[in-house]
Amino acid sequence: MNIRMMKDKDKDQVSIEIKELIGHNDFEILKVYNEKWLTNKVLHPRIQKPGLALAGYLKYLDKDRLQIFGNTEMGYLKHLPRPEFEARLSNFMAARIPGIIVSGNQEVDAYIIDSANKYKTPILVSNLRTSLLMSRISTFLYRFFSQKIRINGVLMDIMGQGILIQGQSGIGKSETALELINKGHRLISDDLVEFYLDSNDEPVGRSIEKIRNWLEVRGLGVINIVDIFGVGAVLEEKKLDLVINLEKWDPKKKYDRLGAENLYAPILGKDILMFNLPVALGRNLSILIEAAVKYYISRKNGGRSFIDHLNKNKIIESKNIYNDDDNNNKEQPGIMEEK
Amino acid sequence: MIKETIEITNKLGLHARAAAKLSHLANTFHAEIHLNYNTDRVDAKSLLGILTLAASVGNKITIEANGKDEKKALGEIVALFKAKFNEES
Repeated sequence: MNIRMMKDKDKDQVSIEIKELIGHNDFEILKVYNEKWLTNKVLHPRIQKPGLALAGYLKYLDKDRLQIFGNTEMGYLKHLPRPEFEARLSNFMAARIPGIIVSGNQEVDAYIIDSANKYKTPILVSNLRTSLLMSRISTFLYRFFSQKIRINGVLMDIMGQGILIQGQSGIGKSETALELINKGHRLISDDLVEFYLDSNDEPVGRSIEKIRNWLEVRGLGVINIVDIFGVGAVLEEKKLDLVINLEKWDPKKKYDRLGAENLYAPILGKDILMFNLPVALGRNLSILIEAAVKYYISRKNGGRSFIDHLNKNKIIESKNIYNDDDNNNKEQPGIMEEK
Repeated sequence: MIKETIEITNKLGLHARAAAKLSHLANTFHAEIHLNYNTDRVDAKSLLGILTLAASVGNKITIEANGKDEKKALGEIVALFKAKFNEES
């Protein structure tokens, strides 16, 4: 497997300037105050809603995080008597947070702007309601701050599952992808996929912009999937569920005949279930892959394995299954773990 | 596994035609061949992979070959880079 760290330098070095948020249509930023300080840097993917920090409890106020002012924060400040309002706000601003985003296009009191300016803090006003704003900014920041790797392979959405197809060059990954697209499954990326960890700490694969929607088919060249199959044939990103590794059929190698072994591929430190599919002349790869995905879905939903079936129906004791095995190992730890 | 670092000397860098020639040549060998540029690593047999590098003239690329015919592979690929992909007279 070809895995390579993109940012294995010090994680603390990664930062994003507040001004990067303004251009994003997703955040619907309507107004910007204290523009001078838009070069402030956010160092942390998690955002914070200050809440009690405005009431004076500053212990858990994290000065590296972006602060979100929702209705609660603005309402609370507004209901305070003026001298107290000003004192609390100065206390809060003195922490020198990188920036504030106000949700729901609320009006910002002139004193808030002045006080923020004094402590070099820009204020952005978004049109979005608080929960939506927080979720979108979180998603964006997690993607930005996540460690990223690029992995050789084809990422597809097959029956709603994110499937990474790997295998040596020339084994037929792209041709198989083409066949799967033709059957109505969706392509995320051919050849090279960039993975990051989302806010749920799960690996998500994303197409690389330079080659997005393109697929190389030997003999035809590089074809544009959207032009040929339409916009429904592609997706920009997808959470990774399963890795399918295509490898040349090796008669000497033992393949899993019973579906009792679990293999995992480590991707960004997470173990992703992997099926090894040997490729031999005449095997229909797209049907095999579809079947593998259906099998994966059934297992995820608690479907039984072949071993369970044998045990339950007392057809054969599972420990006898490997008896005619050449290594003659009667104890097969792991074989029952599957339930 | 053997490797060699080489500087791109053709004016246009690893553009589409050069990348096609490179992946075509790489595909004639059994060895696994990878290109390393900055922190990126791609399969030299994959055209799209090479294109994502967007490497241009003056950039240094490390070519890595691993397999039975690795010596021949590395030699011919380095020669292709040095010949500026046979595109400039």
